[in-house]
Amino acid sequence: MSVPVGHYQYDRIDRDFLQARIAEFEGQVKRRLDGTLSEDEFKPLRLMNGLYLQLHAYMLRVAIPYGILDSRQLRKLGQIARRYDRDYGHFTTRQNIQFNWIRLEDTPDILRELAEVDMHAIQTSGNCIRNVTADEYAGAAADELVDPRVHAEILRQWSTLHPEFTFLPRKFKIAISGSPNDRVAARFHDIGILARPGEDGAPVFRIFVGGGLGRTPVIGEELFDSVREEHLLATLEAILRVYNAHGRRDNIYKARIKILVQAIGVEAYREAVEAELGQMDLEQYRLTPEAVEAIRARFAVPLLEAPDDADAVLTQQRRDDPLFDRWVRSNTHVHRDPGHIIATISLKPAGGIPGDATSAQIERLADLADAYSFGEIRITHLQNVVLGHVRKDRLRDLWLGLSEVGLAEANIGLIGDIVACPGLDYCALANARSIPIAQKLGARFADTALQAEIGALRINISGCINACGHHHAGHIGLLGVDKRGEEFFQLTVGGRAENGAAIGTILGAALPEDETVDAIARVVDCYLGRRESGETFLDTLTRLGHEPFREAAYEAV
Amino acid sequence: MKRPVRLEAGQKLVLTANRLLDGRTVWWSAEGTWVPHIGHALLLDAEEAQVQLAHATEQAQHDGVVGVYDTAVQDSVPPEPVTVREKIRAHGPTVHPEFAVETAQ
Ligand code: HEM
Ligand code: SF4
Repeated sequence: MSVPVGHYQYDRIDRDFLQARIAEFEGQVKRRLDGTLSEDEFKPLRLMNGLYLQLHAYMLRVAIPYGILDSRQLRKLGQIARRYDRDYGHFTTRQNIQFNWIRLEDTPDILRELAEVDMHAIQTSGNCIRNVTADEYAGAAADELVDPRVHAEILRQWSTLHPEFTFLPRKFKIAISGSPNDRVAARFHDIGILARPGEDGAPVFRIFVGGGLGRTPVIGEELFDSVREEHLLATLEAILRVYNAHGRRDNIYKARIKILVQAIGVEAYREAVEAELGQMDLEQYRLTPEAVEAIRARFAVPLLEAPDDADAVLTQQRRDDPLFDRWVRSNTHVHRDPGHIIATISLKPAGGIPGDATSAQIERLADLADAYSFGEIRITHLQNVVLGHVRKDRLRDLWLGLSEVGLAEANIGLIGDIVACPGLDYCALANARSIPIAQKLGARFADTALQAEIGALRINISGCINACGHHHAGHIGLLGVDKRGEEFFQLTVGGRAENGAAIGTILGAALPEDETVDAIARVVDCYLGRRESGETFLDTLTRLGHEPFREAAYEAV
Repeated sequence: MKRPVRLEAGQKLVLTANRLLDGRTVWWSAEGTWVPHIGHALLLDAEEAQVQLAHATEQAQHDGVVGVYDTAVQDSVPPEPVTVREKIRAHGPTVHPEFAVETAQ
């Protein structure tokens, strides 16, 4: 079999390991069903295999390392949705996919089907190093300095089943990007890594620690500015050792690394890491250029050939078709190759469920990936899908193909591109439903011309303080709260996950569910009425401060 | 520790859990079985509920359910849970009408 474009090629050892792991879990499921294992004993075991119990069914979270899939894998996910779920898959902000209607009995079979295409659900839950996320335009974007996938894969191998880090004080999330434009929310992760070329050509890494959302949102602080490639693993190992030794295990709300970094300060943390490095056998963790090359060789490089007039063809097609032009404006990004372009496919149809795709859509995406992008698909941390390498002269055909299955929404980065967690419709921890608010907002701002007029504006919705919908990082954020069994929403404005990361400011008392959409519409109207030319929502907010927006939100209350 | 239950006028308690095999929401019925429709749930006073809860929890493994607890409902036909959360458990997600729990006959 040829090496897949975009992700790492598994070998025998990887595959044997997965089979052994499935057999082990199958035994555990059997023992749970016959009562040998109690629920208390079984729960941590199923979570280690990505299986949660939600409100109506089990939920299976499947890992998509650094968010990249090949078409064969995507097709398999579509089949699983059809066969074992209710015909849907849900793409998440962690670049994973979740199935919401899974039966415990079926799980070993599902895991076996996943293993057929080198996929699994390990390390998608529990207090371990979770799936490493990476820039969704990796290896494609014109603004990229270093392709982060090779190092993401190195981190995946280093962190997978790392014996010391299987029982950390709490879950641990790492994101890596190689572009000066942060597309991974690096400063909202336990560790955020930004790669750039060093003086000798080998990459160096800027490392942030202690970022996170949840109950206590914190912006990560810079621990090191330029870690050399050979010391990357040693440095990460040392950061985790310090956390493992000193992170709090007595209080789940204070267990994340962000609390430790806040408690002792980033300078003290740095000293502790340096002290740890001082006594480690650095040789053992040295990442040699040969080791990096060996990993790089397991990624196929797409052969980027395009006719000379590819760009001219696209320009003409955009001129001829305003609808297509609008989609190109919002849903594409500049590729490093002048004949190619990056296409982002919105999973946010107006009035739809953010991140949901039917099995038919999933399979169609796999076909389109084969036809237009070397069979490679990326899942974004904003719950969309990317085809990384589309020839410019074929972009319109792709767009037409997407239109046939309702996937041609032109709203990436606009107000319709809403991020929402599953919320109270599915999630056992939720206070309020996230999806219906997203649907109502999506319907309210359905007009793509209006969306383009409003410009860059991100709405993020979480159904509880765990912040899976990144509400703190939304330009407008909504947090579901429970008041005596009823749903309310707290509004924040001014959050951002991109460069210049900021945590949103709470506007005021939480609003009842049925007043929330109107309040947001008034906030948007306030911006439209008062913006100066060229300003985005965040610009106007920065210039005017929160007060006008607060007044607008609470005007009718 | 179990929180004390404060029922308002016109409210009763029902027992609920999730089925071990498939995670489906189930309700404790007058026949002493777990059923998928809240329409068949047994309505209990606060004191009866404590007795039944202890019993059902003990029997959970045998009955193939997990996470048994009680929750308040309006004493109506069919009974309607008081909180949004339990309404959604009883009727299914609000965002996919086709996934709703069919009404009990
Ligand atoms: C439906 C089942 C889910 C459960 C039970 C769940 C549970 C949790 C919990 C308990 C936390 C807080 C952890 C902490 O602060 O220590 C958390 C955080 C998080 N979850 Fe989920 N989650 C679920 C679904 C999702 C989904 C669907 C996504 C993606 C859309 C997601 C993405 C995240 C992210 C990004 C965080 C990190 C926030 C942070 O940095 O603290 N989760 N989740
Ligand atoms: S934010 Fe809360 S409601 Fe939403 S998925 Fe996470 S835990 Fe569930």
